[in-house]
Amino acid sequence: MNLKKYFVRALHRLQKGPGYTYKELLVWYCDNTNTHGPKRIIKEGPKKKLIWFFLTLLFASLVFWQWGILINTYLSYNVTSSLSIGFKTMKFPAVTVCNANPFKYSEVKHLLKDLDRLIEAALERILQPTPGNSSESPSPPLNLRLWHQIPLVLIDEHDKDNPIILDIFESNQTAGGNQTHDTALPALCPQCSHQGSDNCTYRNFTSAAQAVTEWYILQSTSILSQVPLQDRIRMGYQAEDMILACLYGAEPCNYKNFTQIYHPDHGNCYIFNWGMDEEALNSSNPGAEFGLKLILDISQQDYIPYLSSAAGARLMLHQQKSFPFLKDQGIYAMAGTETSIGVLVDELERMGYPYSDCTNNGSDVPVRNLYSQYNTSYSIQACLRSCFQNHMVEICGCGHYMFPLPEGVNYCNNEDNPGWAYCYSSLRSSIRHRQICIDSCKETCNDTQYKMTISMADWPSEASEDWIFHILSYERDMSTNVTLDRNGIIKLNIYFQEYNYRTISESAATTIVWLLSSLGGQFGFWMGGSVLCLIEFGEIIIDSLWITIINVIGWCRGLRQKRVRYPDAPPTVSELVEAHTNLGFQHEDTGTLPRDEPLPPEPGTPPPNYDSLRVQPLDVLGPESDME
Amino acid sequence: GAMAPGKKITARIKRTLPVRGPQAPTLSELMRWYCLNTNTHGCRRIVVSRGRLRRFIWILLTLSAVGLILWQCAELLLNYYSASVSVTVQFQKLPFPAVTICNINPYKYSSMKEYLSELDKETKKALETFYGFSEGKSKVRRSVEEWNSTGGEFFKEIPLLKFEEFSKTATDLYTGQKRKIEGSVFHKDSSIVNSGDSNDIIGFQLCDANNSSDCALYTFSSGVNAIQEWYKLHYMNIMAQIPLETKEKSSYSADDLLLTCFFDGLSCDKRHFTRFHHPLHGNCYTFNSGENGTILSTSTGGSEYGLQVVLYIDEADYNPFLVTSTGAKIIVHDQDEYPFVEDIGTEIETAAATSIGMHFTRSRKLSKPYSDCTETGADIPVENLYNKSYSLQICLHSCFQKAMVDSCGCAQYAQPLPAGAEYCNYKKNPNWMYCYYRLHEKFVKEQLGCQQICKDACSFKEWALTTSIAQWPSTVSEDWMLRVLSWDKGQKINKKLNKTDLANLMVFYKDLNERFISENPANTLVILLSNFGGQLGLWMSCSVVCVIEIVEVFFIDSLSIVMRRQWQKAKKWWNDRKRDRPGKAPQAGDLERQGHDNPVCIDEDLPTFNTALQLPLPQDSPLPRTPPPNYSTLRLDTAFTEQLPDTLELGQH
Repeated sequence: MNLKKYFVRALHRLQKGPGYTYKELLVWYCDNTNTHGPKRIIKEGPKKKLIWFFLTLLFASLVFWQWGILINTYLSYNVTSSLSIGFKTMKFPAVTVCNANPFKYSEVKHLLKDLDRLIEAALERILQPTPGNSSESPSPPLNLRLWHQIPLVLIDEHDKDNPIILDIFESNQTAGGNQTHDTALPALCPQCSHQGSDNCTYRNFTSAAQAVTEWYILQSTSILSQVPLQDRIRMGYQAEDMILACLYGAEPCNYKNFTQIYHPDHGNCYIFNWGMDEEALNSSNPGAEFGLKLILDISQQDYIPYLSSAAGARLMLHQQKSFPFLKDQGIYAMAGTETSIGVLVDELERMGYPYSDCTNNGSDVPVRNLYSQYNTSYSIQACLRSCFQNHMVEICGCGHYMFPLPEGVNYCNNEDNPGWAYCYSSLRSSIRHRQICIDSCKETCNDTQYKMTISMADWPSEASEDWIFHILSYERDMSTNVTLDRNGIIKLNIYFQEYNYRTISESAATTIVWLLSSLGGQFGFWMGGSVLCLIEFGEIIIDSLWITIINVIGWCRGLRQKRVRYPDAPPTVSELVEAHTNLGFQHEDTGTLPRDEPLPPEPGTPPPNYDSLRVQPLDVLGPESDME
Repeated sequence: GAMAPGKKITARIKRTLPVRGPQAPTLSELMRWYCLNTNTHGCRRIVVSRGRLRRFIWILLTLSAVGLILWQCAELLLNYYSASVSVTVQFQKLPFPAVTICNINPYKYSSMKEYLSELDKETKKALETFYGFSEGKSKVRRSVEEWNSTGGEFFKEIPLLKFEEFSKTATDLYTGQKRKIEGSVFHKDSSIVNSGDSNDIIGFQLCDANNSSDCALYTFSSGVNAIQEWYKLHYMNIMAQIPLETKEKSSYSADDLLLTCFFDGLSCDKRHFTRFHHPLHGNCYTFNSGENGTILSTSTGGSEYGLQVVLYIDEADYNPFLVTSTGAKIIVHDQDEYPFVEDIGTEIETAAATSIGMHFTRSRKLSKPYSDCTETGADIPVENLYNKSYSLQICLHSCFQKAMVDSCGCAQYAQPLPAGAEYCNYKKNPNWMYCYYRLHEKFVKEQLGCQQICKDACSFKEWALTTSIAQWPSTVSEDWMLRVLSWDKGQKINKKLNKTDLANLMVFYKDLNERFISENPANTLVILLSNFGGQLGLWMSCSVVCVIEIVEVFFIDSLSIVMRRQWQKAKKWWNDRKRDRPGKAPQAGDLERQGHDNPVCIDEDLPTFNTALQLPLPQDSPLPRTPPPNYSTLRLDTAFTEQLPDTLELGQH
């Protein structure tokens, strides 16, 4: 029934016209809206009306402008940081200890024998260039195969345009060598792009020490990369030899509590509290008494002389289940000292996308993480190294010894990949490749750093030296001979400081709630408006659309009627109905309607009963407006 | 519908043209009109409520809402200038900082001998006589002779004294004379006076040259400090007289200091270093100073990609009295920053590899009005004597130097020269040392005002350093290492290097994560207005429109009503006086009072056209009684409909 009524009314309106004008609608809206400005426009005198009109416009535009700013602010996804400092029971960091020297010299001597003899002879030549030196004659013939792969030369840049290149082992050049030595020359280490080709690039060094070290590292890398991993682990320092004593808080621990990991730079490394198989240890007290105490032996006598010139233990604190990148984050501990390390865990917890461009677990980084074979979590260092190794495999065809291998690829060595050193050097110094890796790797959202306060003291003291060495030697080697000395022994204390954490955590500065309340605040501030006001406005728009539609239909019909033009056409049903219902006509005689005119403009427009969704029946409307 | 047509018209006019805003006859009428028509909530309820209690409650509620709004808005305004901190981490290629390296010993002892021999002789002498120290028998004998021959020039200038706290006497260590202590005693070394009087207190006395009774005593608990301080004073005197070129020449050259250099996997040499002469530390060398316009950057973290240098520290050529420790000092700083070697240097050891891992943090504070910091230092009334960008340290040093030049007439040796000044030496400024100590005392006690003038810089870069030390060279590599390094050193030094002459330094980025800590304004104007809007809307559903209304009604309209009433009163009084003269009873006053109190009678009082012209009021016509709308009005239709019965009745009179 209602539906039918509604249709009748709609039909009626279509035939009759909208019943009210835009202006009336607008006035009605202004009068009845809950927004503050419009009401004043129609209620004030003409001058004030104008002022209020402009004020309302101004406020409305202000509201929209500020809304724009607010929405922009929201979409920029700002964060605020909050800082908390204090002490709490925390996971004790994983502690990785290594020896600065990767292998025991006594174990690898047979592999490096040729190389060492070569370098000794080369040094001899460099330092005492006079030919016919007595020390040269008794030595067995040198293995110059290694030498020719990557020779070490001297370049005399005395004459800038024609630098003289002197191979150290070319005997015919020794006379020249004499001369050049007087002019204080740089030592150089060249690498040819292809063996035997003339296309050589020379890598300059300003110091012979660097050149020799670099040369030795390249050569030994090539040799050692051919040794299977098991053998390399065996050649390194064993846990029971290295870790002499261990105490965590009041609990004793020993080398068995350490997880072995093979690190290409430092050989065997041992990780305490890595949390891979067992639960990570907690520390609930600050101070050295409750930390980790270690005594290490680095047996400095067994260092490879040309490989690492610095002696000490390398250690690093890192998170559980993360790979220790000792070259980046590691610190040294000196032999013959006690090193105390107070730890403060500096955490930065960030919000992920869209607040900042970081990754939670590295799954969205387009670089294959080669360190995942260690079951370690993603880190930016792992990503960068994986990226480099991937480039290396792609360009040079083999993997670098310092980084893990992708499947089905071998490490580079001089036999299989003669040009690898050149390839590696150019890749390493290529800014472009570095930038690619920097761009494709993302940092992790939770950035944890261990801030260390390092202090050192001599240890053992002269008075206690004897008995300490005695006991430690006895425990390790079961002999009464002292097998340790000052140059090899290191004591470490690692503990939480009084304040052991500093956490900076991010939270969104602008949430949707913030946005809504700010939008509401703006609208309310300038115009006293709310969402309901917006709905009101929308309603008016719909109404005016309705008017437009009716008008357009009416206009179209008028056009058609004009074309047809029946001057004496009988009144349409609708006209009759309209005559009955139109309030404006009630007091007049309906019969005297002039028929030839379409319809006179409504004499007294009914007081705008502008509620467009008029639900009451039309008849009820009458009496109210009767008064006028 | 039952109304007579005339009344109907009146009512209609009343309804269409009611008395509004400024037309309201009285203030209370205006208030009533305001309360009924305002957009704010609460006010209307006061007027509409029936019953005193309820009205009272509504008044209370409205007032407290207004109070709350004012309080909250004031709070918002007060907290407007607050900042929120954000920390961002960016992983990127980082600019490598400038690294300044100095030998701890400023000048080669051998090349400074000619200037310092006199002073050294006397110092040795003093050590021998006071403490019985002798380097060797033969030397002692010789120096005794020298002692007699030279006659202790430096000791005459500043005598070293031994004090006895109880007797307040001082023994001159050189002449053996005893004298009374005059003037104030400054304990340079130990501010807490030693309790045991058995301890000898050593010190020296500085007197005002113009007024010898005005003396200051500087005491030290240990002769080590006293002798060093005493030596330093003379040393600075001598140094101030030596021209800069000579000093630069007698300090270490880049070739002397740097044995090897390696950066980012490539060799570097002395061309990558910039020399800078520090008054106390001699020649220092800055790596990556950015002088030639390029600043090196690192795109890989880790020790092998940073700076690695081996330094040659010629321990044998150290000045034994000036410096007592061996090694080098390094400072990691920004290219724009001045390296304050003496204040913030990190010392590195010889015969060791010092590995320094860096972590880069950039911070930025908001300047005024958020905090009291300065962006460029241009707003600080202290001339920047250093050729570098502003820092607090620079400001304090410049400020002190300025005060020094102003009050002592010469500049202190350790800081740069202001224009037109020259360094102090006691040939030209015999009084400077006394003056300097006095001034320094004031400076430390913050009496010079430098600490008040100087503000901290708003943005700063910080490299947090993690320093660790390893033995270097290792015992097995020591032999070849030293041989090759000696060869590197070349022909200039024909001796084999000792490992205590060498220091290995590695400076590198631990990671390329740059932390950027910045302050942001917590509030913007938009947010402040939003918050205002929120408060206004929450308590009273008010907006700027309401505020305008309030201004309009309470200030403009009320004022105009008051003015009009005053004007009417004055006019009435004038008329009454006119009427009084003929002698009429002042009845109008009563009427007026009535009108005041009874809103019903208002219309009687209103000056209509008729009353103004003193025309007799027509009895029947209701129209004139309604005040004609003078100017078309703000009219809200519903305004008077509720209470208008009174007014309507008025029309029926």
